[in-house]
Amino acid sequence: MSRTAAIIIAFVLGLFMMIQFFIPHPAVTGIYNTLLDIKQIVLGCAFILGVLSLIRFHAGRIRQKQAGGWYSSAALLGLAVMVVMALVWGTEDGPYRWMFNNVQAPMQATMFSLLAFFVASAAYRAFRVRNLDASVLLAVGVVVMLGRVTLGTLLSWDIGGQTLSLAGASEWILHSVNVAAKRGILIGVGLGMIATALRIIIGLERTYLGRD
Amino acid sequence: MFSAQSIAEKLAALDRRIIFLLVGIVVLIPLLVPLDLPVVVSRETRDFHDEIEALSDSAVLMLAIDYEPDTMAELDPMTLGVLRHCFRKGVRVVALSLYAGAPGIAQRLLEKAAGEYGRAYGEDYIYLGYNPDWSGTMLRLGESIKATYPKDQWGTPSVDLPLLKNVDSYDDVDLLVCINGSKYAEFWAAYAQARYGQRMVSGNTAVMSVFIYQYYNTGQISGFLGGIRGAAEYEKMLGLPADGTIAMGSQSCAHVLIVLLIIAGNVGYLLARRAKRKGSI
Repeated sequence: MSRTAAIIIAFVLGLFMMIQFFIPHPAVTGIYNTLLDIKQIVLGCAFILGVLSLIRFHAGRIRQKQAGGWYSSAALLGLAVMVVMALVWGTEDGPYRWMFNNVQAPMQATMFSLLAFFVASAAYRAFRVRNLDASVLLAVGVVVMLGRVTLGTLLSWDIGGQTLSLAGASEWILHSVNVAAKRGILIGVGLGMIATALRIIIGLERTYLGRD
Repeated sequence: MFSAQSIAEKLAALDRRIIFLLVGIVVLIPLLVPLDLPVVVSRETRDFHDEIEALSDSAVLMLAIDYEPDTMAELDPMTLGVLRHCFRKGVRVVALSLYAGAPGIAQRLLEKAAGEYGRAYGEDYIYLGYNPDWSGTMLRLGESIKATYPKDQWGTPSVDLPLLKNVDSYDDVDLLVCINGSKYAEFWAAYAQARYGQRMVSGNTAVMSVFIYQYYNTGQISGFLGGIRGAAEYEKMLGLPADGTIAMGSQSCAHVLIVLLIIAGNVGYLLARRAKRKGSI
């Protein structure tokens, strides 16, 4: 019964959201705005579910005394400290802001910065002229990498009255070859999204409902 | 002493700690001793700059600060550049975020740029804060900003904000700028530009900028900044060299190092393959 109700709701709302695009009447727009407001509330509630799930997961690890359980303690402590500081002193100023600027931001930035080291190491190991495909990938990678920095603009040659530069070659790859490939992918993705949406609306696709 | 084969083997299998050390050095030195490298402005950056430059003194710009601290090294220079550009011209800024970690960044950058140009909160700029429903927000803003964000980040009712007195939807926004390290620029293009015809530009991390060219070529995104290079180019056009220009030195050196490492690896690989073939004959 509940599955049938969910399928009916998906059908009615899906159909409405599709049709409303073509009917700019105030009554239709009013319903559309209300649905968007409800969506915001549902997503807000999803955050509460997320936090509860996080607490449950880490509390379970601590309770079962699993290896590395103190990482879970640190996660829960961090969550509790930030929530308490935000509730007591607010987020505009005070300890919450200090913690964000001096603990969270540097840690997050550091984690992402490590990518530069791993990318350099991975590029050194992976870009080898093993076959034609790998050689083309390597050549394109080198042209784009150098073309995106100052050296690429300095390396240019006059050939038959035409100026050929690494920066120019890089631009051409990004503006033409890249766009052609991406556009093809995007059209494919778009068609897939339309097909999936239609399957959900007419009730053929039910995996989003989960198991019975 | 050193045979061709041993050199080949060493080049083909450099210890990763040596690579990490080299990357650390080439990234760090240009940050400590900035290199004065020439910056050539690309078409997309020029268009990004010109879109903001073309705004009138009292125009309204919506700035979506859609990133978290992980990408702030690349994106903060862009956000700061946009804010300085707007505040210098007198363009009013309606800022908002669709990323949970963004409000701290937005607050810091807004206060910094506003302080430099003496701009007042509520009159010259506002920050509406974070909304978890990204697609719903992008669509709802086309109907009503005040209904989407009944209060600003600090709890002031939107209806009491002087800047929003005559501003309540995309119809009243002259330009949308999305600074992001994800697919959000594409989503803004799909929901705000395609649905409501909102003119927009975007600032993206270098990785994500490859996805923007197709929207730029069709005119859906009127201009964009790609990574640190885009930020450095934009700073050059503004005549305000800052963190983007300095970081460009690091990026240039790092790219050259990676290319040199690739060449070294391949020389080693080819020499080793040649030696192996000779050995097998």
